[in-house]
Amino acid sequence: MTHQHHSATEEQDHDQEQAQEYEHEHEHEQITDSDGVTVESALVGDGLELSYPASEETIVDCARLDIPEAAVTALVGPNGSGKSTLLKSLSNHLEPDAGTVQIHGEDLDSFSQKELARELGVLSQENDSLGSITVEDLVYHGRYPHRGFFDSVSEEDHRAVDRAIELAGIDHICDTELGQLSGGQKQLAWIAMVLAQDTDVLLLDEPTTFLDIHHQFRVLETIRQLNEQKGVTVAVILHDISQAARFADYLVAIHDGELYDWGPPEEVVTEQLLADVFGVEATVKYEPELQVLPKQALPDNRL
Amino acid sequence: MAEAQSIDEHAAVREREGWVTGRLVLFCLASVGITVVAGLVQVSFGEYSMTFVEAWKAVFNPTVIFSLDAWSAFLFGTELPNMSTGSVVVWNLRLPRVFVGIIAGATLAVSGAIFQAVTRNELASPFILGVSSGAGFAVLATLVVFSGLSNLLPLVAALGGTVAFVVVYMIAWKGGTSPVRLVLAGVIVNMIFQSLQQGLFFFADDLGVVQTAIAWLTGSLTGTGWGEVRIAIVPAIIAIGIALAGSRQLNVLMLGETTARSLGMQVERVRFFLSAVAILAASVAIAVAGIVSFFGLVVPHIVRNTLGGDYRRLMVGCLFAGPALMVTADVGARLALSGTQIPVGIVTGLIGGPYFLYLMRKQQSMGEL
Repeated sequence: MTHQHHSATEEQDHDQEQAQEYEHEHEHEQITDSDGVTVESALVGDGLELSYPASEETIVDCARLDIPEAAVTALVGPNGSGKSTLLKSLSNHLEPDAGTVQIHGEDLDSFSQKELARELGVLSQENDSLGSITVEDLVYHGRYPHRGFFDSVSEEDHRAVDRAIELAGIDHICDTELGQLSGGQKQLAWIAMVLAQDTDVLLLDEPTTFLDIHHQFRVLETIRQLNEQKGVTVAVILHDISQAARFADYLVAIHDGELYDWGPPEEVVTEQLLADVFGVEATVKYEPELQVLPKQALPDNRL
Repeated sequence: MAEAQSIDEHAAVREREGWVTGRLVLFCLASVGITVVAGLVQVSFGEYSMTFVEAWKAVFNPTVIFSLDAWSAFLFGTELPNMSTGSVVVWNLRLPRVFVGIIAGATLAVSGAIFQAVTRNELASPFILGVSSGAGFAVLATLVVFSGLSNLLPLVAALGGTVAFVVVYMIAWKGGTSPVRLVLAGVIVNMIFQSLQQGLFFFADDLGVVQTAIAWLTGSLTGTGWGEVRIAIVPAIIAIGIALAGSRQLNVLMLGETTARSLGMQVERVRFFLSAVAILAASVAIAVAGIVSFFGLVVPHIVRNTLGGDYRRLMVGCLFAGPALMVTADVGARLALSGTQIPVGIVTGLIGGPYFLYLMRKQQSMGEL
């Protein structure tokens, strides 16, 4: 190592320049929460333009999307607003026409498929219904990215699977075949599979839709526990805005493929947002806790 | 600490033996039993008739089993040592046919099982996806036009099968494939290759060649010997070995493309690689036995209905059930009509076809797995 001597002023100038440069480059990453504390982003989408191969139309055009580290972020928006599409690009299931996605500061493209699956777990909305596979076998599939072609099951795999099954609270149906479970139990089994993947970041596409209220809460509680106990970053698409407002640390509201607003629920959820994004007239109560009371649908042709 | 360890051990045992169920073991034992009985029937009857006991004695004749010369004659084609007529009939004429049946049955069943997982389609088989007709055409072309290449039949068949499958895949490909597109493309490519096969008959000037060719296209074990075993055994073992090792990949594929991708699988690459293995397996069978219809389609269904859809079990099940059914069908083909042998493909078609129709009627839906 050689040490280069500079005059004091030169060095200072240089440092300052660098600091400025740094600030400029990382301007976007300095997001703060309500207390003014800087929040790191686990997942960042930058200048994303998304469309499906079959059509020309750009479905999502999002300048900047942050999924804060170690928090639960809910993506909300009406049907067809592009939430799922956005989630697909965040999980590398859809190649963006423009823009990049970074996980912990690294481009998704720089990961191999398996490496990415060790960093990022994804549960998509539709899961093929397989009848004759037991819950436990399904959860073991979550270890796929950790195993080579000829590797047998390791101790670590067993532990991860047992943890996942416990966290999802499905010990009692371990040996049951998937075909014999209710929709809610099935969803918990799929979630356990993603948990066994043991990733720092988890993306879930509408995990509570079509579930009865009991299983909706079971799913949400599992996600919350995972976040609190292990600091896992979660981004979850939720259908129900009032549920999302109560449950998530951050909300991302998406409207017509664009980011409408972003931040803690108390700041994001307003009567204006409900009218603009969801097309409903609603009252929002902030005391004693955030509550959304939808009243009626606004006419479709409003601008 | 001790408790934690015992839990871990329990977990290890549970996983290691979890997929080997009593039912699977029983199924395999029953299949082996059927194969042995059918094989014994096969070696006992024929123009040189023997009793079961005589045949049994000939099969387990220690002077043959423990003779290096004999095995070198069987496996490497060296000169056959002197042995009794019974032993020659059993060991040199009838047993190799049983072995060829075993190899063809196992490879066809495994091939069908792989194709059904890769395309996630219950109707998939080497036949439907064009592999059989492509390989069949290549074999036929070799027999009729390039007869010098007949030692390389499995290779030629694999080549034809691969070409046909790649064409099918390319037609079906549109930023990914779907079961329906694959099957439709397969049907079309099938028809084209069948036309080509029929066209080849006009170039055959010898009636014998035509007859051989017809036997080939219907699938026949008639006249197969140690030569066929020698051709087929190595590629069969390779294909089956990879297929068994790949059964976990197939299970993950069965979770659906999106999930498989999320779990870190390079879906198209794995699909293509395992398809190649399935083509190799099918080509082995086609090179020695011709196109045995319905076999690759029906056997995985029988096994799935008995053992469930887990590919670790399914693959092992196919490996045992395939030979049992093929050898049994060949007994029917050889001995049902006295005085003449019919191709085994006719037997499998006559039994497999109706069985498949029965499945279609019984199941609520058929198609996607």
